Amino acid sequence: MDNSFLHRKKLLLVDDEPDLLKMVTDILKDAGFETVLTAASVKEAVMVAKREKPDLMILDVMLPDGDGFSLMKQLRTFTDVPVIFLTAKDEATDKLAGLGLGADDYISKPFMPQELLLRVYAVLRRTYKEDSPLVVLDGCTIDFSRAEVNKGGEVIPLTAKEHTLLETLARNEGKIVTVDALCEALWGDNPFGYENSLNAHVRRIREKIETDPSRPVSLITIKGLGYKLNTRK
Amino acid sequence: MKSFGTYISKHLASFAAFLLILVIVNIILFGVTFYHTVSEDYGESSPRAMLEMTSAAVTTESLPDNAVQKLRQYNIWAVYLTPTGECFWTLDVPEEVPQNYNIQDVALFSKGYLEDYPVFVWNTDEGLLVLGYPKNSYMKLTSNYYSIEAIQKIPLYVTGMFGMDVLCLFLAYYFSKRRIIQNTEPIVEAIETLADGKPASLHIDGELSEIAGSVNKASQIISRQNEARANWISGVSHDIRTPLSMIMGYAGRITADESAGERVREQAEIVRKQSVKIKELVQDLNLVSQLEYEMQPLHKEQIRLSKLIRSYAAELLNSGISDAYTIEIEIAPEAENAMLECDARLISRAINNLVQNSIKHNPQGCKILLSLKHTEETLTLTVADNGVGLTPEKLQELEEKPHYMESTDERLDLRHGLGLLLVRQIVEAHGGSMKIDSVSNQGCQTTLSFRVSQT
Repeated sequence: MDNSFLHRKKLLLVDDEPDLLKMVTDILKDAGFETVLTAASVKEAVMVAKREKPDLMILDVMLPDGDGFSLMKQLRTFTDVPVIFLTAKDEATDKLAGLGLGADDYISKPFMPQELLLRVYAVLRRTYKEDSPLVVLDGCTIDFSRAEVNKGGEVIPLTAKEHTLLETLARNEGKIVTVDALCEALWGDNPFGYENSLNAHVRRIREKIETDPSRPVSLITIKGLGYKLNTRK
Repeated sequence: MKSFGTYISKHLASFAAFLLILVIVNIILFGVTFYHTVSEDYGESSPRAMLEMTSAAVTTESLPDNAVQKLRQYNIWAVYLTPTGECFWTLDVPEEVPQNYNIQDVALFSKGYLEDYPVFVWNTDEGLLVLGYPKNSYMKLTSNYYSIEAIQKIPLYVTGMFGMDVLCLFLAYYFSKRRIIQNTEPIVEAIETLADGKPASLHIDGELSEIAGSVNKASQIISRQNEARANWISGVSHDIRTPLSMIMGYAGRITADESAGERVREQAEIVRKQSVKIKELVQDLNLVSQLEYEMQPLHKEQIRLSKLIRSYAAELLNSGISDAYTIEIEIAPEAENAMLECDARLISRAINNLVQNSIKHNPQGCKILLSLKHTEETLTLTVADNGVGLTPEKLQELEEKPHYMESTDERLDLRHGLGLLLVRQIVEAHGGSMKIDSVSNQGCQTTLSFRVSQT
């Protein structure tokens, strides 16, 4: 899936380490983000957030005048902006505190630039759906807003379950989504024994989107794990 | 605990020996004290000797001079009575002693005293010889009779008493030993816990409460030290993270920078790879020390392990690992819905460490199989590869040698890093066990077994 529509989103980085701010800014700007704002303290962050209304905030947990968690509580009083925590604390001990407050993700230092970008894109994509809901596959186009598949001029409607299933896969385009995650997306939190129904849905979707449903090229089975949706670049 | 029992037994044995010595000493002291009296009682002046001497010399007329002298030497008076109670003669008889006796008098004094003089009698053919000793020189038992039954009982009584004494001693020994062990058991246990480097707390009342206090104090010191050590490691690993982020970040950027020269990019890639190693070490180090000192709270939940394995494998594949490695999942049908109460993050970390080990040791690529089986009470998670495997020596070394985190000698080599140690700790924190099997050049397999309650 093309991420370029996300590059217009405004990002705000909060960290008290100027070198790190500069590096993360560089990484994000090189990736194509147009506006990357920075702040070095809780006070400054709240000020910038109120003034600039960023679309995503990346917060360090340790700040000179408070911690990221309390900053997030303050932010939540006036905005629902998605938040990613960046922390030097060990993930195993701190992660729950961040997610419990409603953080969208959590990256522990040290991190690879690629990892940071992936998480930023994932959170942005989850929060801000693409304006054009068209997904182009090999041999057909899916229009999620109308729940339709256009295969060689023929328009085939999608059922609600098929729509959810395809959307989940499209959001993680090119990546494996486990059967568990798919079942959860379709049937909620306690999806025991739904694998057979899932298989049936996948079979029906293949009939709608694949040129040759017995030899799928878009909706691929990953044996023992789940499924993957390949889109056309 | 057993050594303590032996200790008490040895002490009791020496105590018994001491008792025996005491008895012997008493006997010797008795002998020394009464030797004089005894020799006198049975010596020349004893009533029996005197009676024998006098009766041999006596006649109805008088007593020979030498016998008279002997008697006088010991202040003994004498009377020789006719069978009718008259006197043949008397010698030095005090005034209050009568000269005639009837049968009742004789019956009385023959058993005891005559006017408070202890008297002894001897029957001769002619009459009755009576010797009177000075007042208060002898005590006579006036009622010296015992039933035959009582006499016959004496040997039984002595053996019975002896047996009873031994039994009492043994009971005293047994109960005091049990009591001591009961009282000291918690102390010994606490000290053994301390010896393992773990904190112990002890609550006992009474005489031993002081020891409990000392044990608790030692425990506090140990846990304070453990805490300080874990905090120190956590602090260092925390402070390394931000600078390391920048090293990794910039090295990564240089590697990807097409305007940089080929050589520079290659070198930057080396920096990046090495900093990833430091990152892994820092992450593992902190968790290992937290687990080691039991400072890591486990966030246990009921988890479907099959789901966790799939989610881990999908994440690994999605992160884009080299095509040289294939990841396969094999979940037995009965294990599909098996739940384990565990900390999902830690279990994922353990699986990841094992998979990363397989990747690290097989740069040429290999097949990695994650499988899950469920038998009656055990959930078995296996991470296997078909790579170079381990030589038997290496395998033995992994299992036997203490890791440098736990070692106090100078052998601080980092050959196996912390990965495997962390896996072991995580498994143990979940009450499970870990087993490594490997055939050289055929691959390596690590099995993690967890006990599950049947649901």
